Amino acid sequence: MVMASVLVGGCHGAAQSPSAVVVGRLRAVADPLRVFGKSPPSGYCAPVMETLVRVTDLTRRFGRYTALAGLDLTLARGEVLGLLGPNGAGKTTCLRVLSGNLAPSSGRVEIAGIDLARNPVGAKRLLGYLPERPPLYQDLRIDEYLGFCARLHRVPRAKTADAVAQAKCRCGLDELGRRPIAKLSKGYRQRLGIAQAILHRPRLLILDEPTEGLDPVQVRQIRTLVRELACDSGIIFSSHVLPEVQAVCDRVAILHQGRLVSGDHLATDRGPLVWRLRLAPPADCAAVSALDCVAQASPLQEEYTRVVLKPDQGPEDLARQVVAAGLGLRELTAERSDLERVFFDLIGAQEPA
Amino acid sequence: MILTIAGRELRGGLVTPLLWVLLGAGQVVLAWVFLKVVDDFSGLGADERVASLSQELALNLFSIAAVIAMLAAPLIAMRMLSAEFRDGTYDLIGAAPVHLYAVVLGKFLGVVALLTPLCLLPAANLTLLLGVAHLDPGLFAAATLGLWLAGLMFGAIGLYAASLSAQPGAAVLAAFGLLLLFSVIGRAQDLSLPGLSLFAWLAWNEHLLWFLLGAVRVSDVAYFLLFTGLFLALTHRRLANRRLA
Repeated sequence: MVMASVLVGGCHGAAQSPSAVVVGRLRAVADPLRVFGKSPPSGYCAPVMETLVRVTDLTRRFGRYTALAGLDLTLARGEVLGLLGPNGAGKTTCLRVLSGNLAPSSGRVEIAGIDLARNPVGAKRLLGYLPERPPLYQDLRIDEYLGFCARLHRVPRAKTADAVAQAKCRCGLDELGRRPIAKLSKGYRQRLGIAQAILHRPRLLILDEPTEGLDPVQVRQIRTLVRELACDSGIIFSSHVLPEVQAVCDRVAILHQGRLVSGDHLATDRGPLVWRLRLAPPADCAAVSALDCVAQASPLQEEYTRVVLKPDQGPEDLARQVVAAGLGLRELTAERSDLERVFFDLIGAQEPA
Repeated sequence: MILTIAGRELRGGLVTPLLWVLLGAGQVVLAWVFLKVVDDFSGLGADERVASLSQELALNLFSIAAVIAMLAAPLIAMRMLSAEFRDGTYDLIGAAPVHLYAVVLGKFLGVVALLTPLCLLPAANLTLLLGVAHLDPGLFAAATLGLWLAGLMFGAIGLYAASLSAQPGAAVLAAFGLLLLFSVIGRAQDLSLPGLSLFAWLAWNEHLLWFLLGAVRVSDVAYFLLFTGLFLALTHRRLANRRLA
């Protein structure tokens, strides 16, 4: 099956040599992943701390409407930055500015030290961009389209065929080269959009909701592909799906109403330590806080209490101590993921009990 | 890079039916005019003929072909920018390491490559008379050159109109409006300003007429090249401003 070839290392002569993969794995072992208490996903390569993108005080207005206000971002090579935010937060505008399709109203974008405004051609040589809607010409076949994209990105003529073959292989399109784009399904169109973005091995890859329209199997394969690509490039990845960002990204930037409300301060491992208690009859937080295993307790809506456990304590300790203290335990559930909670806290949305 | 973009536009134009429909419809109209001119001419006595067959054919056939090119250019140009804005494919070029002038010239070359067969249609019709009548090849060469230069100008205007809107229909109407303005502006002289020849100079048909009479004047060539360059520069400006909008 075509899909099977998307897996890491499934392409002959793919972007990295076997030795590079080994080095990447060793680096991953030596340098723990800063991602919400998770073990590194497959294909993970530790970020090499060389600043690839520097966005300084970026503002973009559309008439009176301010889509982005004073945004500051950095991205290191080998890092995957997730861009999160509700609809209208400014994610797509941000990515369009970074891709050079929109000029900022003020502020500065540098890619590998090259100012995007002063030297757009030089900066754009380093980037690959998948917009929200894949930019596909319906009247071309897949091979023709990728060949055109290769020439557009100045891939040397002698290397074009190889670059096209590798991009198709990585995206599971290697048996469909003769197929007209107009006859592709939505999932294949998305994959072709990714293929054109990675074709020239860009140092910066900008992906605007790359898993939109894909089935769960394809989503998993794209995640793997993104992690693989992060060995060579810095990746900015926008998505509405929080678990997806959590699974793929090293860092998360949360945008809300055009402002960056959180940058790279989410890399703590608190998720498994946060629990929700429901007691009957409802007890005072002070009684819960008094338990030995509890570091902090705070009231939530209705009869719920949020409990943060001490680092060496588990839910079984909490349950045992609640019962021993004579508090009626009716419910004990893990708090939502750290990212999800932080996201809702930062954008100010009401948290359901 | 210019040739890469032009090649893509040419390929896109050839695989869609628009060009073939325009060529087919244009040929039907030109064939009708051709037959009418030859038939009328052969029905006249030698003393009744006020112009040679070559002049009759050049004036009728090429002026109709110019009108066909004027209608075709906006339709061909609209898909190069306006439809790309609408479909989101312009983002591919916008994020590619390509200078804006290369984008404009590449698209323009694509329009020219697709319009050139239309401009050669009258000459193709005239080959039917080879060996049958004494024709003036120099006159037809001048007329073909004039028609092609007019086609360049129409293409540039069409491209500029296509850069104005993401709605291809609106872009076509804007191009038609501009081209009609350049067609009728010469009549302003007859209406109110008999002493001022600026309006007549602005009209493309006044310049094409000299080519159809067999005279290739530098001033007429310069007119077509000047306005072609002007509208290409405006297209470049418009695309640059689009990033700011």
